[in-house]
Amino acid sequence: MILTLKKDTPKNEVERIIKSYEDRGFQVNNSQGSNYHILGLIGDTTSLDEKIIKANPWIENVTRIAAPYKKANRLFHPEDTIVEAAGIKIGGNEKIVIIGGPCSVEGEDQICRIAQEVKEAGGDMLRGGAYKPRTSPYAFQGLESEGIRAMAEARKRTGLPIVSELMDAEHIDEFVENVDIIQIGARNMQNFSLLKAVGKTKKPILLKRGLANTIEEWIMSAEYIMAGGNENVILCERGIRTFEKYTRNTLDLSVVPIIKEKTHLPIIIDPSHATGNWKLIESMSLAAIAAGADGLIIEVHDNPECAWSDGAQSLKPEKFANVIKKGRAIAQVIGRDL
Amino acid sequence: MIITCKKGAPQAEIDKIIKEFEDKGLEVNLIRGVDYNVFGIVGDTTIVDEKIVRANPWIEQVTRIAAPYKKVNRLFHPEDTVVDVAGIKIGGKENIVVIGGPCSVEGEEQICRIAQEVKDAGGVMLRGGAYKPRTSPYAFQGLGSEGIQDMAEARKRTGLPIVSEIMGVDKIDEFVENVDLIQVGARNMQNFDLLKALGMIRKPILLKRGLSNTIEEWLMSAEYIMSGGNENVILCERGIRTFEKYTRNTLDLSVVPIIKRKSHLPIIIDPSHATGDWDLVESMSLAAIAAGADGLIIEVHDNPEYAWSDGAQSLKPAKFKQVVEKGRAIAKVIGRDI
Repeated sequence: MILTLKKDTPKNEVERIIKSYEDRGFQVNNSQGSNYHILGLIGDTTSLDEKIIKANPWIENVTRIAAPYKKANRLFHPEDTIVEAAGIKIGGNEKIVIIGGPCSVEGEDQICRIAQEVKEAGGDMLRGGAYKPRTSPYAFQGLESEGIRAMAEARKRTGLPIVSELMDAEHIDEFVENVDIIQIGARNMQNFSLLKAVGKTKKPILLKRGLANTIEEWIMSAEYIMAGGNENVILCERGIRTFEKYTRNTLDLSVVPIIKEKTHLPIIIDPSHATGNWKLIESMSLAAIAAGADGLIIEVHDNPECAWSDGAQSLKPEKFANVIKKGRAIAQVIGRDL
Repeated sequence: MIITCKKGAPQAEIDKIIKEFEDKGLEVNLIRGVDYNVFGIVGDTTIVDEKIVRANPWIEQVTRIAAPYKKVNRLFHPEDTVVDVAGIKIGGKENIVVIGGPCSVEGEEQICRIAQEVKDAGGVMLRGGAYKPRTSPYAFQGLGSEGIQDMAEARKRTGLPIVSEIMGVDKIDEFVENVDLIQVGARNMQNFDLLKALGMIRKPILLKRGLSNTIEEWLMSAEYIMSGGNENVILCERGIRTFEKYTRNTLDLSVVPIIKRKSHLPIIIDPSHATGDWDLVESMSLAAIAAGADGLIIEVHDNPEYAWSDGAQSLKPAKFKQVVEKGRAIAKVIGRDI
């Protein structure tokens, strides 16, 4: 970490600052130029808070050199992490995983029917929302426990592991017991109490990127879960908020090579929420695979016009099957399978 | 166009509004609701300015139904436009075009050497900046006319057509005479005088998306050029400004399927400016091809560490060649070639 001091910082202040870091076990490099006075801190700076350092009026600027995350950092864990969810491996050079299913569970019949379609199309896992974070309090809020039970029934009938979103720590036991991957939604990416709570479980966590969060903030949220002892974290990009209005969000596919460079965690892409438009899903899915993503999570509904939520971004099963078929051909070109 | 009028608007006011639109040759449908009166305006509404309509205090909201562009609109031109640049065809089902070259022309020797490398690697066109829009007035501003002459020499030696950026109307003659594809840079996307001037010529134009411009604004800029009579427009996405700091910009690949739906113009991708990091260029290039892009424009330099600008985002020729080869394999999967 580099601290830039103001030019006229008194000598005793400089010495006091240097001593305060040395006392905490850092090695301090002192270098004085004609316009600036710079201190280089060497050691584990992840525990330092830039905002607190800058509270010192003699410190003009703080530049972090090392990443603020450790457990998620590829530097300290060069091999790819492969997360296993009910027998399905995600990450590394494993098969690209395709997760399909409706935005909301609408009942046992519906989810079992769609699960079967997802399976027949070549999907590996079933998604379905039981607890729904909706912008409007008047919109359908999900079937909750009944939805989770319906998902479990669909798993029993098809063998597909299930993914569902956890909105609050109070339901953790229910999710640990019934769900194979616990999703933390975009709106909860920085719900730190929830992150700490899922850090205490050993279930795989699908951590979606927040609507307006940087990659670094997202990795720090993964770090929260891992710091608690749960290293089974899968990252999921689902589009970020920009000024563009033709799409629901802007899909940031550059996260794929960046996450692979900075971390060892698997990264999957959600083209459905990213674009909000079923017509754009195929091309964005193929692009995600070409970019090196470890999986896709796609909304599938057999009757999108009548879906209880997100119908406009849901693929019909035959279109979903088509995406998988084309995706497989792209995957083979880059040396993977699907 | 749908106009929402406040309830309680006097009849005289409503009649006045209707007459104004009818005088412009538009048909007006009035729907009286419980809380609002709504007008449906039928006809060519591209001539109507929403901001002027909203100036009427009785009008609460104006919603455009038809796109504000005509010439670029696929609705009125269902076939793909294929732009011919000195014999190289861009768009439709033609080969995906790969344009390579340095950010800045640094001299005749440099550009001729890199041109040969681009050609050997499989590139079909040469890029190079002679007039450079740099953020800092103290940064290298380009070789100007000399740079254009050097580009022309590189074309003579390699046969590669050349692309370069025009910054002002005063240089149009020089560009028409010497350059095969005239680039309008991101910062000039809404330089309307320049767009109008380029509409009067017949040279192909490569129109980059502005840093903070919506897809609709970008298409309107293409409309400026086309409405002047020059229909040879190629669109180029080069990343948009977001809150993310790990990348220079955020590459918005969803523009590829969107542009292909809304417009008949070719769309190419610039992964170099979008990411600002050579390490991300390969995966974003493959993703762009998988998404259906008509071409790539990639910065190539044989000695990036010593490039006069943008070294960090430039590929070495060997890496560029690899991108072309992998890109070709992806292209074949989606039924195209490079």
